[in-house]
Amino acid sequence: MEILLSRVFAGATSGSIYVLIALCLVIVFRSSSTINFAQGEFALFTTYVTWWLTEHGLNVWLAVLPAIVLGFVMGVVAERVLIRPVKKRDETAVLIVALALFTGLNGLDGWIWGSDDKVFPRMLPSGDDTYVTIAGARLHYDSIAIIAIMILVVVGLTQFFNRTSIGLQMRAVATNPTSAALCGVRVGRVLSLSWGLSAALSALAGALLIPMVPPGQLGLAGMFHVLIFAAAAALLGGLDSIKGAVVGGLSLGIGLALVNGYVGFLGGSMSLTVALVVIVVILVVRPTGLFGARRLERV
Amino acid sequence: MSGRQTMLLEAENITAGYGGATVLHDISVNVAESEVVVVLGANGAGKSTLLSVLSGQLPSTGTLKVDGQTISTVRSDIMLQHGISLVPQGRGTLTALSVLDNLRVGAVSRRDRAGVDQDVDRWFDVFPRLAERRDQIAGTLSGGEQQMLAIARALMSRPRLLLCDEVSLGLAPVIVQGLFRTLREINSESGTALLLVEQNAELALEIASRVYLLEVGHVTTSGSAEKFRDDDSIRAAYLGY
Repeated sequence: MEILLSRVFAGATSGSIYVLIALCLVIVFRSSSTINFAQGEFALFTTYVTWWLTEHGLNVWLAVLPAIVLGFVMGVVAERVLIRPVKKRDETAVLIVALALFTGLNGLDGWIWGSDDKVFPRMLPSGDDTYVTIAGARLHYDSIAIIAIMILVVVGLTQFFNRTSIGLQMRAVATNPTSAALCGVRVGRVLSLSWGLSAALSALAGALLIPMVPPGQLGLAGMFHVLIFAAAAALLGGLDSIKGAVVGGLSLGIGLALVNGYVGFLGGSMSLTVALVVIVVILVVRPTGLFGARRLERV
Repeated sequence: MSGRQTMLLEAENITAGYGGATVLHDISVNVAESEVVVVLGANGAGKSTLLSVLSGQLPSTGTLKVDGQTISTVRSDIMLQHGISLVPQGRGTLTALSVLDNLRVGAVSRRDRAGVDQDVDRWFDVFPRLAERRDQIAGTLSGGEQQMLAIARALMSRPRLLLCDEVSLGLAPVIVQGLFRTLREINSESGTALLLVEQNAELALEIASRVYLLEVGHVTTSGSAEKFRDDDSIRAAYLGY
């Protein structure tokens, strides 16, 4: 029982990490119907910036703030300068642009900061004795913190989309950009904002998660696995649903923790394969995911 | 319509089209304050293209003037700020949003929150069927209800001129009659001018005071609705009796 519970805790922790990046993918997909494969690299670049600022003596919680602002600017600029002009001509070419951003940003990281791993300061409390015991299973403070932050982000985003005018405009653009424009929504501005918001959130997520995922240090490959898991989570939940990203991320995290724990041969290096199998199965069986927009339309 | 009073909207020498195909050839139309104008024409005459230009969706050569002032940047949100709002053909429902949110999107150009809430209540009074479905996802509404929603949403910006593109299309006659009655009331109560593009010429002529006849991108005739109702050849061509 303790082992089961501690595996669930571990799964919920990595699941919350997937949720955070999956939400970034969802924000972009909702407004522009693009899967931003460079999302992880946005997060990695800004996390390098955070690290660089801490190397210059800044507290990590302060250092992440300019990185978030930088993330926002990067998102806005990428959408305006790279994505929008290409998308106007060819929808599928956007995929190539995202991949170019992916490799370009990663190369830029290596060029500026080198390829050796950096020790990234932990933002959340951790240590051998920082845990609470629930029914015999240990729940570490950093797990509690990342789950709490994930919940805060989800509540914040939900409020933002449902209660603010710009959130309403984002939902309108997601549904029907032509109609939204006709109602006076500045569609281009909304798209830029979505990309900016998404990249800003991924800057926070990157700094939080880098010490928590293997190898625990900041390296050039730091976001590869997280992005694949997050993409699987987002797909599982339905690419345009916040609720779906949460359910998808948590069930993927917990599911993988249990599979790794109980089905020995699928553990460790095979878990990435499991995530990819999840992606393929969803694409075949239910392309809209669990909570994706089913077409509720009558003529 | 006589004399040189300042028009609410004047479109002068409009030429527009898609890609290489020119649909509108140098046409001019205008609408006075509180006036009801109808544009008649067969399929492909360029009626919807005209409304796309007037609502700022489609670029054109020529000038658009509101209250005699030339609009230098023609864009949907700017035309809305000048009080010109379009009910698009096919209704343009924001299908994944609730009925209430659809109305709110119609008011994004406005800053007066209290006024927006008042207007939501007002159009729910005018269209009780929408009020019953205020929290329902708009994609699940019937065609007639979506048309009501499209009209109410376009009115949420408090336009001085409502452009209506084929509101009767695909709807049962009794529903169309209801919609036209409502449009007429909106015109007489709020003084909102209407520019109707219609295939259902009979109903449109009943509420319009002036008519433009559009044939393959040219205005061929214009004049009072009365004259059109009495003109045998036009009746034969557009009213079918």
